[in-house]
Amino acid sequence: MVTTLLISIAIISLISVFLALLMVIADATIGNYGTVKISINDGTKELEVKGGQPLLKALNQEGVFIPSACGGRGSCGMCKVRVVQGGGEYLPTELPWISEEEKKKQIRLSCQFKVKSDVAIVIPEELFSVREYKTVVEKIRDLTHDIKEITLRLKEPDQISPKAGQYVQFMVPEYELTDESVYRAYSIASPPGDSSRVELEIRLVPNGICTTYVHKHLKEGDEVTINGPYGDFYLRDTERNIIFIAGGSGMAPIKSMLLDMEKKGITRKASYFFGARSKRDLFLLDEMRELEKKMPNFTFIPALSEPQPEDNWEGEVGLITDVVRRMTTEGNNSEAYLCGSPGMINACINVLNELGVLPENIFYDKFS
Amino acid sequence: MKQTPEYDKIQQNMRKGVITLDGFLGDDTRKLVDIIAADTYTIHAHHTTKEAIASRMEYFRKEGEQGLGEPITVDGHFEVRVDSVRGLLPSPFGGPGMYAKINTMVVNKTSGKSIVYTDLHIHFIKDHGFFEGIGSPFRLEPTDLIEILEVQPSEE
Repeated sequence: MVTTLLISIAIISLISVFLALLMVIADATIGNYGTVKISINDGTKELEVKGGQPLLKALNQEGVFIPSACGGRGSCGMCKVRVVQGGGEYLPTELPWISEEEKKKQIRLSCQFKVKSDVAIVIPEELFSVREYKTVVEKIRDLTHDIKEITLRLKEPDQISPKAGQYVQFMVPEYELTDESVYRAYSIASPPGDSSRVELEIRLVPNGICTTYVHKHLKEGDEVTINGPYGDFYLRDTERNIIFIAGGSGMAPIKSMLLDMEKKGITRKASYFFGARSKRDLFLLDEMRELEKKMPNFTFIPALSEPQPEDNWEGEVGLITDVVRRMTTEGNNSEAYLCGSPGMINACINVLNELGVLPENIFYDKFS
Repeated sequence: MKQTPEYDKIQQNMRKGVITLDGFLGDDTRKLVDIIAADTYTIHAHHTTKEAIASRMEYFRKEGEQGLGEPITVDGHFEVRVDSVRGLLPSPFGGPGMYAKINTMVVNKTSGKSIVYTDLHIHFIKDHGFFEGIGSPFRLEPTDLIEILEVQPSEE
């Protein structure tokens, strides 16, 4: 009986070893695609990478960063890239994210598409300036009961050159809510002039992987990896009046733009409508009042939708869209910058259209 | 309960790392049809329906959106905030739709209890009676939804 058992164990062990060996051989032969070439934007940049890996990862390793909110797990659909040569068939994991129109344009989901032979791709030129940065948390400040301001000091590289209004991706390491590192995107709140620091404003989302990490675990002195800058939400160089609208952590890119305007001496007429529910949801009021003193053509208009009796609020009351409607003149000579949820953006666009702001002069950072 | 091959494929899509990092099943090893059947039983025990629950979730989503990202009082004793983060999610059940990562946070000030759900949850419940598997970090307990959102008994 015992002998039979021992023989069985030995046979099973031998089979396991054989199968493991087979897998190693298969990995080194069948799964070995050797070195493949990635040609970017008609040969503007040529990369040689190890074949068989996802395009997103291959590009990241060579210092070309494609925006992705999920860190390459195919759960955000952001990392789309045009593969004009060597694309092959679509994978089932790509298809939920790719429309028929995008198929015609040879758009692929770069975190799922694997580079198994030479490929040619097309990406926006501005992505060439995106880098990964090692940073250290210099300061954490509570802005409200659920928004924290995080100041990151850049270590390697030690300088960044974003445009005011752009965003970076923040890497969350493994911790109790995630088994693997993930990336989340946040707008930069600091002005571009401060190239050695990046300031973020992060609002706690219940059960949110990154926001919970930032609010409950992140400490001053911790190391954080970010990459960026990304995005085309930045101040246009025109002479039109400016209408800024944001609420909550939507303050971040607007603050960056205002500080940039102040530093560059831009004197365009600008109004910033900031919506909150009650006084405890307002923040950076002193900083905004200080900017009003430095920038005579700038007006900060905070508005509360549900002021509490103890707030003793004497400012504007109502939804921010109602306040914008009441207080805006010269809409046809204005451009607008909005940051917030899709619902907020859509409501604001409707009001701005009513006020005569042309659709092509409305710019927004819609979080979806 | 017997599960169709189609549901086998859907269940595969719900596993960790396929569509989302955490998946939709948690530690639940039951078949998808059994997960849905168990929650349907709970709903019926409360004399209501998945449609009634989803309808209430949609109501708060719509009302809360008027706060434009800030909390807003609804019907006197609910505090609702509708906010979003970047990104979109496809449904593991398939179909052409993509769901923005829009969170609806409802606090029932009478009971002091709160619940958070997304547009994808509304779709799961309304169209499939799926509340996610037990142990999934984003599972919604049917009884919590019924209690916190004050879902009224309805005809089946």
